[in-house]
Amino acid sequence: MTDNKVYYTVETGDNLICQKCGIPLVKTEAVFEYLNNSFPVELPACPKCGFVYVPEDLALGKVLSVEKVLEDK
Amino acid sequence: MDHFKERSTRDYFQKKLYTMEELFKRENRCIYEEPAFCHAACPLGLDAKKLAFFIEKGAFSDARAMLEHITPFPMILAYGCDAPCEKACRMNEVGEGINIRGLERAAMYHGSPKGGKGLFKFKKKQKAAVFGSDLFSLFLAGELARKSYPTSFYVNQKDAISLLKDCAPFLLKDDLVNEAKKLENMDIKILYSSNLTKEFFESEKDNFDIIATSRSFLDMCFPNDIPNKETLLAPISNILSSQDSNPSVLQSIFDARRAGVSVDRISQGLDPASSRGEEGSRESRLYTNMNEAIPSNQIYEPENGYITKEAIEEASRCIQCKCEECIKHCVFLQDTGKYPKKLTREIFNNVDIIMGDHMMNKTINSCSLCGQCTVTCPNGYDMAEICLDARENMVSTTKMALAYHEFALLDMLFSNNEAFLSKPQVGYENCKYVFFPGCQAGAIAPDAVFKAYVDLSKRLDGGVGLINGCCGAIAKWAGRTAIYEECEEQLKNEINKLGNPLIIAACPTCKKTLEEMLKIEVKGIWDVLNEIGLPKGALEYDRPLIMHDSCSARGDSDMQASIRKLTNSLGCTLKDVPYNGDMSECCGYGGLVSYVNKELASKMAQSCTKDEDVPFISYCMACRDRFAREKRESMHVLELVYAAPAGNPPDISKKRKNRLSLKRKLLEEIWKEEVIVINPEYKIVISEDVAKILDERMILEEDVYSVIEAYHEDGSAVYDEIDGTLTSSLRKGNVTFWLKFKKDEPDVYIILGAYSHRMKVRVRYE
Repeated sequence: MTDNKVYYTVETGDNLICQKCGIPLVKTEAVFEYLNNSFPVELPACPKCGFVYVPEDLALGKVLSVEKVLEDK
Repeated sequence: MDHFKERSTRDYFQKKLYTMEELFKRENRCIYEEPAFCHAACPLGLDAKKLAFFIEKGAFSDARAMLEHITPFPMILAYGCDAPCEKACRMNEVGEGINIRGLERAAMYHGSPKGGKGLFKFKKKQKAAVFGSDLFSLFLAGELARKSYPTSFYVNQKDAISLLKDCAPFLLKDDLVNEAKKLENMDIKILYSSNLTKEFFESEKDNFDIIATSRSFLDMCFPNDIPNKETLLAPISNILSSQDSNPSVLQSIFDARRAGVSVDRISQGLDPASSRGEEGSRESRLYTNMNEAIPSNQIYEPENGYITKEAIEEASRCIQCKCEECIKHCVFLQDTGKYPKKLTREIFNNVDIIMGDHMMNKTINSCSLCGQCTVTCPNGYDMAEICLDARENMVSTTKMALAYHEFALLDMLFSNNEAFLSKPQVGYENCKYVFFPGCQAGAIAPDAVFKAYVDLSKRLDGGVGLINGCCGAIAKWAGRTAIYEECEEQLKNEINKLGNPLIIAACPTCKKTLEEMLKIEVKGIWDVLNEIGLPKGALEYDRPLIMHDSCSARGDSDMQASIRKLTNSLGCTLKDVPYNGDMSECCGYGGLVSYVNKELASKMAQSCTKDEDVPFISYCMACRDRFAREKRESMHVLELVYAAPAGNPPDISKKRKNRLSLKRKLLEEIWKEEVIVINPEYKIVISEDVAKILDERMILEEDVYSVIEAYHEDGSAVYDEIDGTLTSSLRKGNVTFWLKFKKDEPDVYIILGAYSHRMKVRVRYE
């Protein structure tokens, strides 16, 4: 995995707030891992506690389709 | 052992599914690729089924091309052939067979000859000569010309028309002229009015490498030199000629074809007798179900042949013999679009792949393992066994993704842990019987299970214990041998503790699985009820019903008869349908299809209930549930016996709740044990719409509670300022659950949505 490669980016609006820390989520470098494979992405996350937010359309869209591909590897 | 550890795509294990010998043995049972009977009967290998297919579609030119590929003079074949294909036609059994020669003539009359010059062919170096005129020598000259041998044809006739007239006197005048033209256009040097004497032959023969003659010419020059039956080569003179001195038209054409093969072998310096490939007619192993063939007679063929309309009509009488018995009623096979032989090879190859895409994984896991194919196939092809073997192989080589069966396996473990109950009858230490209702009965019709246990324990002597759990079928279907073995150990222990009683199963799959697992006889509750009679209050049912036999009752005529005896005593009138009993289709639960391929499972249930607007009765709770989920009225026989209608089909969460409630009710009311239920400090509100989403996405209410519990403890969530919703998540096992909710008042959570994914997510630079 190269450091600067990013497969997917979710733009962060300013409406998402971390409930625990009370601060807005910011676009953060994150990683999805499945069956010993990993994919660097950019997702909204809390800069303080590190809570990463996966929106519904991403979970049921891209994430699901990649899961299915990997399951048949 | 951790059964739920995710695999790695970087594990490179492989284990052969079968030895090649075993694979061939299995594949050989499927006769889908066998030729039709007409095709197999033709020594020239003309596929008359395909010919009829082309003509039915009006593709006369394609049909003509087939004939011209088979023989250089198709018209002679069409008129002179003694047509073994017509004798082999299966339509003879229900009416008149297809007029295949009539169709051949129609193809020649109405089809256009193949256009274009074809491929440029180099002339062969060996020169061939054919002496004398009979059908064999005429066809062989044509064959040799097509094979690009420079061919000289010595005949005593003065022209092509008289040559053909002598060889094929049965041809009509116009056809004779056409075939003569064809002969003249062939790349053959025809030497008309040759003086065919032995001296002439001796003077000419040294100019050629290959020599063939008519049989009468051979007899004149070399009496007693009889050609070999297979190679058509006369051993003394090395001349190719017809083996029979008076062959039929078809034999002559077939001999010419085989002599052509011998010429190729000889010209390459090879033994003409070996490696000739498959020749001649053969037996077909094909099965054609004639029950569906509509009897009909041949369309009258006028002297000058069929017009196109008549030919199409005659061709459409052909039933296009093929064996699709297994595919006809198997939704799984229809969905794959493959016949068992092909599917088996693809599954075998899929298992063999070490790295790369395993395209058949979903297919392997989409078979309901119901075994219908073993009954519908005339050779008993067992696709279920192959799919199950493949699943077990994939599990053992870590190629099986947990995603396919994890939910079902966790549900099985739930049945055998939280919801498990094993007790002797009150007042007994050892029992004569133990009631085993099965996990689905408790999940779908808990009242019927409760009443059944109360009834059996009252009316049977010697003590009736209860084991409420899963029989292990789920682990078996998933190919998870280790979990199955653990289940086996658990059940053996419990049965031992109860004094090894006779098991009374309420589910055909439990009965079958337990008999295989424990190697003991298991009795069905239907047999017991037939012996002791119906309990008081059993519901009588006077509307007609369709009995849907369970796949686990396939081949068990005693079980099928016993259940009918029971429904008869309930006053049920069963409507006769063709696909029940041993032929019964799967409801979509078997083999865990409903977990792997929901759409296909739906189609399976729809296929079972198609065309019938009559309620269904079954003795398998899963069938009852699958049909009800497809909005078809269905009931389990125990619902009638114990007057305990189960109502609408429960969703996945309700199924778990039902099992827990049943356990609690049994413990409290029968064994008088106190059950402590801890209620959470907060309230969760799930609307009907959200419950539907949870069911569709296989998210349990239990998972919802876990996410809220975690939020309640930790407070981690995302707050959306626009709609005021909170979204929180929890990683539970191999799945991350996300919950969208609002907090209405303190400690009341209104659930707005839920979703999940199996991938793990984390901040990159932790």
